[in-house]
Amino acid sequence: MNPERSVKRRTTFKKYLPYYLMLIPGMVYLIINNYMPMFGLVIAFKDINFVKGIWGSDWIGLKNFEYLFKTSDAYIITRNTIVYNAVFIILNLVVAVGVAILLNEIRNKLLSRFYQSVILLPYLISTVIISYLVFAMLSMDNGFMNNTVLPMLGMEPKSWYNEPGVWPYILTFIHTWKGAGYLCIVYLAAIIGIDQEYYEAATLDGASKWQQIRRITLPLIAPVITIMTLLAVGRIFYSDFGLFYQVPMDSGALYDTTNVIDTYVYRGLMQLGDIGMSSAAGLYQSLVGFVLVLLSNFIVRKINKENALF
Amino acid sequence: MVNQETRAWQWIGHTILWLYSAACILPFLLLFISSITDETTIVTNGYSFFPEKFGFNAYTYLWKESADIFRAYGITIFVTVVGTAVSLVITSLLAYPISRPDLPLRNPLSFFVFFTLLFNGGLVPTYLIYTQIFEIKNTIQALIIPSLLMNGFNVLLMRTFFMTTIPTPVLESANMDGAGVFRTFYSIVLPLSMPIMATVGLFQGIAYWNDWFNGLIYITEPKLFSLQSMLNRIMTDIQFLSTNSALSSQSAEALNNLPSETFRMAIAVIGVIPILLAYPFFQKYFVKGITIGAVKG
Amino acid sequence: MKLRSKWLSIVLAVVMIALSACGGGKGDTAGSPNSSSAGNGGAKEPPYELNVAFAAFNAIPSNLKEVQDAINEITLEKINATIKLTPINIGSWTQQSNLMLSSDEKLDVMYVSGRNYTSYVSKGQLQELDELLEQYGQGIKEVFDDSFINAAKVDGKIYAVPSNRDLATNYGINLRKDLIDKYSVDIDAIKTLDDLDGLFKTIKDHEPNMTPLVPQTAGISFVDSYKWFDPLGDSIGVLPDYDNGLQVVNLFETPEYADFVQKLRSWYTAGYILKDAATNKDTNTALLKANKGMGYLVNQKPGMALQDSRSAGMELVTVPLTPAYATTASVTSIMWGIPINAKNPQKSMEFLNLIYTDKDIVNLLDWGIEGKDYVIESGNVIKYPEGIDASNVAYTLNQGFMFGNQFLSYVFEGDDPNIWEEMETFNNEAVKSKALGFSFNAEPVKTEYAAVTNVINQYKMALETGSVAPEEILSDFNSKLKSSGIDKIIAEKQKQLDEWASTQ
Repeated sequence: MNPERSVKRRTTFKKYLPYYLMLIPGMVYLIINNYMPMFGLVIAFKDINFVKGIWGSDWIGLKNFEYLFKTSDAYIITRNTIVYNAVFIILNLVVAVGVAILLNEIRNKLLSRFYQSVILLPYLISTVIISYLVFAMLSMDNGFMNNTVLPMLGMEPKSWYNEPGVWPYILTFIHTWKGAGYLCIVYLAAIIGIDQEYYEAATLDGASKWQQIRRITLPLIAPVITIMTLLAVGRIFYSDFGLFYQVPMDSGALYDTTNVIDTYVYRGLMQLGDIGMSSAAGLYQSLVGFVLVLLSNFIVRKINKENALF
Repeated sequence: MVNQETRAWQWIGHTILWLYSAACILPFLLLFISSITDETTIVTNGYSFFPEKFGFNAYTYLWKESADIFRAYGITIFVTVVGTAVSLVITSLLAYPISRPDLPLRNPLSFFVFFTLLFNGGLVPTYLIYTQIFEIKNTIQALIIPSLLMNGFNVLLMRTFFMTTIPTPVLESANMDGAGVFRTFYSIVLPLSMPIMATVGLFQGIAYWNDWFNGLIYITEPKLFSLQSMLNRIMTDIQFLSTNSALSSQSAEALNNLPSETFRMAIAVIGVIPILLAYPFFQKYFVKGITIGAVKG
Repeated sequence: MKLRSKWLSIVLAVVMIALSACGGGKGDTAGSPNSSSAGNGGAKEPPYELNVAFAAFNAIPSNLKEVQDAINEITLEKINATIKLTPINIGSWTQQSNLMLSSDEKLDVMYVSGRNYTSYVSKGQLQELDELLEQYGQGIKEVFDDSFINAAKVDGKIYAVPSNRDLATNYGINLRKDLIDKYSVDIDAIKTLDDLDGLFKTIKDHEPNMTPLVPQTAGISFVDSYKWFDPLGDSIGVLPDYDNGLQVVNLFETPEYADFVQKLRSWYTAGYILKDAATNKDTNTALLKANKGMGYLVNQKPGMALQDSRSAGMELVTVPLTPAYATTASVTSIMWGIPINAKNPQKSMEFLNLIYTDKDIVNLLDWGIEGKDYVIESGNVIKYPEGIDASNVAYTLNQGFMFGNQFLSYVFEGDDPNIWEEMETFNNEAVKSKALGFSFNAEPVKTEYAAVTNVINQYKMALETGSVAPEEILSDFNSKLKSSGIDKIIAEKQKQLDEWASTQ
């Protein structure tokens, strides 16, 4: 062995040792909280019987996964899940980044603080409560739409919870309304972190605000945008259960446009309570997300290595 | 000319943000007004900004439980403060090393963090580990440690922030001055990272404040209920009782002890208001950057 | 609170070993129910503490500890055991009880809800009780007619015992008395659903702001609150008229079902049913209180008129529309079982025996401490003590239907003092479904089951509240059920039912 190299390795090790020490607490936590329970993934392939224990239960191969594909609704729920999430990812991005940029431009300190607090409000209200507020708008008997808005426009009252066509818009609106403020804070933090000298130089060069946003702000927060998007892509097969279950009031007539994988699994297992089948659904969702993230990360890496997740 | 443009931007900004704010406030206002509406009026007329009849039943009911509610507030505040603080420490300690481009094994380590965001063992295995091995059931740690203490998402967010906003030359010069890794982290990286620390702190704070799930699965002792687990229990009880057909004749009686509709709204109100009050504390770290820019620009 | 990493890494190593053990370990306790404390008469052995978990439908009482101590005085003397009451709010019950059953947690006696029962049994989470009942639970067996205790059998073995309360149900309608009187309706003439048309019309004509019929509560359709069939657990494959020669049929294809939803539709279009019925989220009595409705279809039992009148704050009358029927579901909805983790099943059973036979324990669990939570007015009737009322009483559980034998319970002032005799007659005279005692195990067809459950969820509420026109929807519904495999479930059910019948 080349002595020089081993010395070099030792100094490298010495140089980086403090970094490795730093990450111990976090790593230990991840091992305990996330990795150790992963032994439970075997549950998805077992017919659990607690007399035999988790390990002792019989292997049943992919039987727990079958119900996800055997139904005639498999196409609908997959389509709904993906399309909704794709729209959500894009809209959240546009709205959150847009609002963050505007907030950053606001000069009035007091108002800026006010806006920042207020846009967080929807995120803090639980989905059950939101479903009630939506019902206040859309109720057949005494909803705001049917009693006030539609008569004003000279239109007939509508049975909103029986009209699948309008729900994609309603759900998208609610999702953006609820989540954009929260995401906006991430982008705002990134924008604030940008070195002010870039802007000063640009202003001296006579660049307009719009140009500054396009040339400085957006490129500099691109890594944050990338990572937020990648993480959202990883969860594309999951959906906000409350949004799709509570808000449409579990109305069957709306399933064509509101049924997603999570609600399908929930409804299907409500009676059975089968832990094997619910684990199978979770594993399936994870796997799809995993593949998609690997793919998108690969693409990001091709474009800009710095921005890739790993 | 620059001035004119700036003024135009201000106008557009304020207009959009006012509209957006209104969309956020009005539902909340409706929520609040509903919580002080007479229960029967809600059943008859639905929710309204201008109810026929006010009623404070929900709050008097809550007031009756005030001893429990104040204790629950205490637990929530303790859990939120301690949890957020510990969480910020271990999150940043993990995010910083993997943000260094030259760190050997950096990518596998990032992947190790990322993987936890997608795959999990599920509830039962997690429960087994925390209750059987760490014997965490019915302890205050159960509200702090499981699931919430550190989130891979926040780690990756912070990592990205460290990578993009802390100029490598600054770190190198610190190194040159002979400052150790910990020292550099403490005296250079952290002060420069206040916006992201505030963001993650806020996210963690909200997560702890709003968490009811740990309470649901690890706590059966009423003395340890946090505010949200207590409120959530009341809510899920109402929900369960009003949808369970097998027990309907009995549950109807149980249900009638609660002013259900206004009560839910009141619960939402008392759960949200403290966060709103605490939020300006986090904002302090946001506004700083803006004012410097504003003064200079 | 900071994690000590050294400590944790040691623990980590332990964990990996422990993990491999935590699966297998449970098998040991399962097999031998009588291994511990074999010497029955040994009075000097230290008392065993039983952890008793149950669902709390109301606020958990502030003086639960006091009640527990009072119970322990009795149990120490009678069975040399103490109990620890672990109430869990009903909304959290399913989740928490599942977790407790899935881990090795100490749990000796637990409440079992009928909807979870067969799934617990098929996952091996409950102990078999036949032998224990024979040896230590004679008191329980004496309380019940054999057919009721047998109703809890799965594959010929019993895993949980029902509480003794209303074990049958009849369907009918509860109506506001003030309106009945106002329009002088002859309620004795109302015998069937069709007889309701006239009444609804009268109300609709004279009280235009009122919809005569409101749903029972959120998520409950009118078929749920008016059944003419034994649902055999889940309404997927039913027994019409509680008999049908044990031929399981697809409810949704029967002409009776088509007629019923057609009838509901005609009521809905005539304005007799709440417009929001399919997505309603209020309880029946709240809707009545708010002057929105005049009545609701409901599963009835003796004493119900008084009970619901109290809830609604107005006088109600009950009109039965069907005779009372006892089905497996009506008997097994509330039960008690001994989990697989219980270390001393003999003591568990001895305690269960007490809640069916010991009047003092039953009343402690039902009403709390005498003198503090209630006082005896006369004989069997109790009332609140001076200065105490429903709003400040400490013992708030109020769920006598759960704790063992309700017939040993005191009767609260205002209720019929003879309620338990009436209830017993009601139970014993109820028509017993031909399939009483049959429980369906969905395990073999769970793939289809999940799909079919989804389809039913999609159509059920809308159809069964009259919110949609059944002409097209019903056939859509049925074809979708077919393609999701309902026939396979029904065939499986028929097979299990035939097997069950052959052992009767």
